[in-house]
Amino acid sequence: MAIDWLQYRCKGFYDELFAAPGEPRAAAKHLVDYLGSLNKTELADRRLAAELAIKVMGITFTVYSEGRNVDRSWPFDIIPRTLPKTEWMRTEAGLQQRVRALNHFIQDIYGAQKIVKDKVFPGELLQESANFRPQCVGMKPKHGVWAHICGSDLVRDGDGTLYVLEDNLRVPSGVSYMVENRQVTKRVFPELFQTGTILPVDDYPAQLYDTLAAMSPRRDDAPCIVLLTPGIYNSAYFEHSWLAQQMGIELVEGPDLFVGDDDCVYMRTVYGKRRVDVIYRRIDDLFIDPEAFRPDSVLGVPGLMRAWLRGKVGLVNAPGAGVADDKVVYAFVPKMIRYYLSEEPILPNVPSYLCMMEDDRRYVLDHLEDLVVKPANESGGYGMLIGPRSTKKEREKFHQLISANPRNYMAQPTLSLSTAPTLTLSDGSIEPRHLDLRPFILSRGESTYVTTGGLTRVAMVKGSLVVNSSQGGGAKDTWIVDLEAA
Amino acid sequence: MLSRVADNLYWLGRYLARAENTARLVGVHSHLLLDLPRGVSLGWSPLIAMLGADGGYLSRYQDYSEANVVHFLITDRDNPSSIASSIAYAREILRTIRDGMPRDAWEQLNALHLFMQEEGEAHLPRAQRQAGLTKVVDGILLLHGLLGANMSHDVGYHFLQLGLHLEQADMTTRILDVRTVDLIQWKTGDELRPFQHIQWMSVLRSLMAYQSYRRYEKSRVSGPAALRFLLQNREFPRSAMYCLNKISACIAKLPANRATERPLQRIRALIQDANFERLLENGLHEWLDEIQIGIGQIHDALAKRYFQFDGVESSEALQSQTVAA
Repeated sequence: MAIDWLQYRCKGFYDELFAAPGEPRAAAKHLVDYLGSLNKTELADRRLAAELAIKVMGITFTVYSEGRNVDRSWPFDIIPRTLPKTEWMRTEAGLQQRVRALNHFIQDIYGAQKIVKDKVFPGELLQESANFRPQCVGMKPKHGVWAHICGSDLVRDGDGTLYVLEDNLRVPSGVSYMVENRQVTKRVFPELFQTGTILPVDDYPAQLYDTLAAMSPRRDDAPCIVLLTPGIYNSAYFEHSWLAQQMGIELVEGPDLFVGDDDCVYMRTVYGKRRVDVIYRRIDDLFIDPEAFRPDSVLGVPGLMRAWLRGKVGLVNAPGAGVADDKVVYAFVPKMIRYYLSEEPILPNVPSYLCMMEDDRRYVLDHLEDLVVKPANESGGYGMLIGPRSTKKEREKFHQLISANPRNYMAQPTLSLSTAPTLTLSDGSIEPRHLDLRPFILSRGESTYVTTGGLTRVAMVKGSLVVNSSQGGGAKDTWIVDLEAA
Repeated sequence: MLSRVADNLYWLGRYLARAENTARLVGVHSHLLLDLPRGVSLGWSPLIAMLGADGGYLSRYQDYSEANVVHFLITDRDNPSSIASSIAYAREILRTIRDGMPRDAWEQLNALHLFMQEEGEAHLPRAQRQAGLTKVVDGILLLHGLLGANMSHDVGYHFLQLGLHLEQADMTTRILDVRTVDLIQWKTGDELRPFQHIQWMSVLRSLMAYQSYRRYEKSRVSGPAALRFLLQNREFPRSAMYCLNKISACIAKLPANRATERPLQRIRALIQDANFERLLENGLHEWLDEIQIGIGQIHDALAKRYFQFDGVESSEALQSQTVAA
């Protein structure tokens, strides 16, 4: 029996594929019609084919559970999420604007701190920021770019507005899955790509390579670029090796590198030492150099900060860029855009309450059951309180946490996240599931590149809003559909 | 080529050769037992000795029963030399360096690993064993085919080949060592002579060498001729001399390394000058020990020069730095 889209219950939320029951949005029409021509068995077969492809292609992520690391297949839903190109163009411009402002901000914070002097940004936030690095004060990286790679999370609320939920400026991950999701979808639904209206996504590695090459301190046609990984047990190791492979650069671990007496960085090769120009590091600031940060780190390279501060090596993202990747600092991004660029923000922030401000804090403590409370410096969805789903005990715990350390918390209204049709894990029927979107933005100074779409993450559990793969989230292929090309 | 990656490729070669040889050995041994007369107990313990795993085995198993030994050799993940462990290590290595390797090679090794994990145990009983072992051997050969056809034959490939041939030379001499200890004990008693013949055939078969042996030697299988073939032949890919020549050719393509030359020359000379009739009478075990020590020295020299690079390079390394890639 063919799928009856009239049975798909998308009411109450903004659905990415349907405007109303049985009524697909323009960008999704071709997809919906096609899926409608398949019956449940055929759809189940396609899902099996996708699972097999993922297993065989070895697309994995690593989860730490029960005291050991487990390599799991990438959780993937075969029904793509669509966005019209016109909407995407505007979103892209908004993301570029945002990242330009963020880079100005970071440079300013480690320099003259004009934004503090002009009282647009409260300086006391810096003193307590876990990601402000005093070691970086006075530094000016090449082209003034600190956050070369940014992964911003977008969510859509019930009225259809796309909001920026957060900006990840330290070591954002997920881009490899964006490209691999497309590979899997092409294997599973080759027929759908014949129309030529779905924009390709596989340009990212070449764009990233150009971004990295632009950060070389030497004038050399072929700079030596490496990707520094914490190693095989890191949850994003698949992505590290994937990116190195796609760009044709060396994947190195800390012990592969050393800093010489000349402050240059070298790698140990079978031919002897070789100078490294740019390091795409996927290790957190605090671990990259035991001389400058945590002395117990075995992942990093002693002397790396020294080499970077003397301009002998490019580090991507720059150490200290995380200062702007703080959920409290986030609330000031619209102000930064006006302050540095004299422009109005194209993409809105989710309204935020900062617990450090007395009025906001009082409001948050009085409305815990309506709000989502987030710690300033956590990522991966850890340490959050989702008010409407919380127990009294959890709320009491957060009441205490916030009162004890208000700077570390912010709160946002619970958004009614948009949904898209998703195959349920239990019986393979189609039901709405909540999702978000993480595009990646590359900054090289003279230009800014945004991925075509991004990584759509979906909460596979009914009603859940948590999309992180470490907590039961899955992913979908994301299609930017060019309706004019049809 | 990073020193760490070179090290990984070298061990990838070694683990693959180890798993493949172990699979052949268990398969041939299972067959051999079927041919032996009543009262002649060859048993399963020689296989454990061959892999130098006696200590690890006896700490966990009560006896050398067939079920215990095949479990230990094929699927036991607590045995670091079992087929499942070797494949798991090889997979872990390929995962570590997969950025530089052909994707289909990764897919193939991953599939083989999943097979061992999911179906290894089910293939232990005699009736299923051969099918499982064939799958392992074929899977590894397919992987070599993919690597040979799809990977650049660059420095990294030479390290892979080095590991492969060093492990093969090691396995060939180990197999001969253990098998010949039994044979010597058999020398008395004419009534067992036909079975001695069978056992030499199984030695050749363990190394897939029987067919080639017939073509070269054109004679009935005899001890000295079999040893000659498995140690001195320059064309059979599992003979010790063939492997040593390959190792020498690989090293010639690497940045200069004089430390490997001496042990390599020494064991090549030992093999070249050997008189196998006399060695079979007396001293074969000690002689094979010498070869094994030489193989260990080649390994040490490789590790010191290429894998444990400490940043202070020798002048010969500096000279070749201009060709660094």
